[in-house]
Amino acid sequence: MRRASSKKASSNSTTSTNSSAMDLFRSATGKAATKELERIDQLFYSYSNESSGMIDPEGIEYLCSDLEVEHTDVRILMLAWKMQAEKQGYFTLEEWRKGLKALHADTIVKLKKALPELENEVRRPSNYVEFYSYAFRYCLTEEKQKSIDIESICELLELVLGSQFPQQVDFFVQYLKTQVDYKVINMDQWMGFYRFCNEISFPDFNNYDEELAWPLILDNFVDWVKSKQS
Amino acid sequence: SVTPLSMSQPSNNNRKRSSTSSSSSYTSPPSSTTTTGGPHFSLMKKAKSQAVSCSFDNKNGFQLDNNNNNNNINSASQDPSSMIVDPTENDAVRASSAGGFTANLGRKKATPPQPAKKLVIKLLKAKPTLPTNFEENTWAVLKTAISSIFLKQPDPCDLEKLYQAVNDLCLHKMGGSLYQRIEKECESHISSALQSLVGQSEDLVVFLSLVHKTWQDFCDQMLMIRGIALYLDRTYVKQTPSVRSLWDMGLQLFRKHLSLASEVEHKTVFGLLKMIESERLGEAVDRTLLSHLLKMFTALGIYPESFEKPFLECTSEFYAAEGVKYMQHSDVPDYLKHVEVRLHEEHDRCLLYLDASTRKPLVATAERQLLELHITAILDKAWILLIFIFKFHNINTIGFSQPLTSGFTMLMDGNRTQDLRRMYTLFSRVNALESLRHALSSYIRKTGQGIVTDEEKDKDMVYSLLEFKASLDKIWEESFSKNDVFCNTIKEAFEHLINLRQNRPAELIAKFLDEKLRAGNKGTSEEELEGTLDKVLVLFRFIQGKDVFEAFYKKDLAKRLLLGKSASIDAEKSMISKLKTECGSQFTNKLEGMFKDIELSKEINESFKQSSQARTKLPSGIEMSVHVLTTGYWPTYPPMDVRLPHELNVYQDIFKEFYLSKYSGRRLMWQNSLGHCVLKAEFAKGKKELAVSLFQVNAIQLKETVEENASTTERVFQDRQYQVDAAIVRIMKTRKMLSHTLLITELFQQLKFPIKPVDLKKRIESLIDREYLERDKSNPQIYNYLA
Repeated sequence: MRRASSKKASSNSTTSTNSSAMDLFRSATGKAATKELERIDQLFYSYSNESSGMIDPEGIEYLCSDLEVEHTDVRILMLAWKMQAEKQGYFTLEEWRKGLKALHADTIVKLKKALPELENEVRRPSNYVEFYSYAFRYCLTEEKQKSIDIESICELLELVLGSQFPQQVDFFVQYLKTQVDYKVINMDQWMGFYRFCNEISFPDFNNYDEELAWPLILDNFVDWVKSKQS
Repeated sequence: SVTPLSMSQPSNNNRKRSSTSSSSSYTSPPSSTTTTGGPHFSLMKKAKSQAVSCSFDNKNGFQLDNNNNNNNINSASQDPSSMIVDPTENDAVRASSAGGFTANLGRKKATPPQPAKKLVIKLLKAKPTLPTNFEENTWAVLKTAISSIFLKQPDPCDLEKLYQAVNDLCLHKMGGSLYQRIEKECESHISSALQSLVGQSEDLVVFLSLVHKTWQDFCDQMLMIRGIALYLDRTYVKQTPSVRSLWDMGLQLFRKHLSLASEVEHKTVFGLLKMIESERLGEAVDRTLLSHLLKMFTALGIYPESFEKPFLECTSEFYAAEGVKYMQHSDVPDYLKHVEVRLHEEHDRCLLYLDASTRKPLVATAERQLLELHITAILDKAWILLIFIFKFHNINTIGFSQPLTSGFTMLMDGNRTQDLRRMYTLFSRVNALESLRHALSSYIRKTGQGIVTDEEKDKDMVYSLLEFKASLDKIWEESFSKNDVFCNTIKEAFEHLINLRQNRPAELIAKFLDEKLRAGNKGTSEEELEGTLDKVLVLFRFIQGKDVFEAFYKKDLAKRLLLGKSASIDAEKSMISKLKTECGSQFTNKLEGMFKDIELSKEINESFKQSSQARTKLPSGIEMSVHVLTTGYWPTYPPMDVRLPHELNVYQDIFKEFYLSKYSGRRLMWQNSLGHCVLKAEFAKGKKELAVSLFQVNAIQLKETVEENASTTERVFQDRQYQVDAAIVRIMKTRKMLSHTLLITELFQQLKFPIKPVDLKKRIESLIDREYLERDKSNPQIYNYLA
């Protein structure tokens, strides 16, 4: 308990510097806020690995099953984004706290309920770019890694853009799998594709101009689609 | 022939006759021609001077006192109104006074003087009137005269009387009616003259002669009539603006009745056209007749409508047919010669009988039918010409797919350039030079493509290109009159064809130069060599990827210098300076450096020989010289591990010691792949020298391989990549922020070798990856420099 209280004390200090207005209000009410934090931490520990002090991939699996969500579901990624989790497959206590506090979820039930709202929030255009870019960074597992292999990119694309731009993603994935020029995709190309989906009319590409600054991979992609269409 | 112009000028000799009626040389005809109005003083004046007294019947006239002198007469009552002159009496008086003065004097003397009688002159109250039928009678005279003229019969009336008749009628204000009568009279004769031509003569030339005669007669007749009625022309006609001059009136009548006798007019025109056609077909025709009749048309004012229009149509048809026929049967040079001849003929036609105003439309029509409409066909056939010129020079014309017709014969080169010259001149007349230029461009590109892209003919490529260019230049000078636009066309086409194949032409040109600059080119004089170098430089100028050339040239130059294979150092240096002028010193700095190294090496070798190390430590029996090369100037050579004979190793070490003692702070690296040596061997049959490379010494051959050439090219491309990266960074560093399109534009301006936008994009993305640049967050079309 002492540990908890000491943790509470320390967590109080951290939460007070990072708090939103609601949290301030809550902390102003004092007890309720403390209770909430307590429960969030408890939830954390119910999934975390004792030795590492983090929720590891195994823990995440449990979490997912409790949330009744596939661990490959995009909502888990969104949750990670909300937490600003740095390492793929791991949540630290700080990250956990950050995320759940923002979602006002201190129980599994509440967390589950918060997921739809989270999704809405993420899907807002202003947030989605950030999320999209986060998704890429999240997959850079090695230090100094700057690109992601084609296989993984295809999965990520499906996950992140599959529902929004099914046609484009479908074609692009096909292209990526058949072409030989590129073995990896970098951030620039990744972001370029998102812009491409948003701006370019599909599948006619009427407003696509390869003389502009589109990444070369997209020029090749357009040529590939066009040659398939004719 | 009669020209109307001369008719409208008044003839001066009639002026006298148109003076006032009170002429002293008055000879009155027996009929009544008295004056109205004022008194007739002439008789009195005469009487005055005579100073004679005459007696008159007081009732009729006046009397003079014979003693009275002039004064008395003057003081006598001379009431003008009461004077009367009886013509008959006058005559009697005159007669008597003329002949019988002395008689009278004599008589008078006998009789006693009568007392002076008073002189009373009384005018008649009534004005004198014209005789009845004055106009009719006067006209009758004229009418007879006119009629006689037209009928070509003699007229009893003399000209004086006719002039007077006209005068009289005009003076009595009958000019208008006279004019109308004349017109009517003329009209009837003119119309009958023209009508009489209807149905005349089947033979066109005979008919035309008849027409001419009719016209000629008409002109003469109108002239005469006008002469007679000149007074009318100069008074009534002048004063009446709505009325034509007599000559013009005559012309109008002729024109009117010619068109009424339409068959005549059409037949005349038809006849004329037929004559001209015959002449065009080579027959001789009566040009004078043509000329006269055409002048008739002009005079009548119907030349453009009645003649020129159908003539031009006729001409158009004639030359349309001729153009087609000749194009099918003749070759281009003959056709063009024929066209030239025809155009000359038509021009002459205008000098000889056609009106000058026809020249322009006529020549234009002929040009159109003979040239303009056949430009394409002429050009198609003209390739044959060019092929012959090139075949004459043994230029490879493979790649040109048009078939040669067997009708052509090999002509001397000079004739062909003449033919092309003719074509150029004629085409410029019909504004078809653009077609010619375009066709020339296509031809050069096509032929050039054949030369450049045929891989099997690579070893002849440079030579063929040089010959091709020389031929084109000659044609440009001799046939195309050094036309600037054509000059540019040749240049552009050459630039296009030489770059059709990337890199290879550049490589081959470098090789070609290598051959020329190598020793063993016996028989080429210095001047010839210089000339060749200049011509090759022209080709070099067209190459877009000059760095490829540089890489090969450098490699070959290095070999020549190191193996001592240069034919002439002067020629080598001359080539370098030409390249320097062409591409700037940056291009040639390294090459010049290579020369310096060779010079320097000589000196080093000399001093080495003199050195103590050489004298004391060198193994005997070997003479070695060393080339010291500055890295950076010379091509890079792959390091090769070679085991040399012991003596050579020793030598190398001693030299190294010597060198480093002179030049401290330098690193020497032996390039054993380049070494070669001369083995002086004693064979049974005598001494021989063998020049072999070091590897041969070690029984390893070093041959230039295709791979080596490929790697040279590869290195050039690698180098280009670095240059692009460097350029991008340089530009972005300066601009800090630049749009994609502007960056691409900048790069194209700065980079000296051909490169595609795709390649530029690749390098940009690579630099983004390496974090030299980033895309701007708010505008993805813009790049930011990352410091």
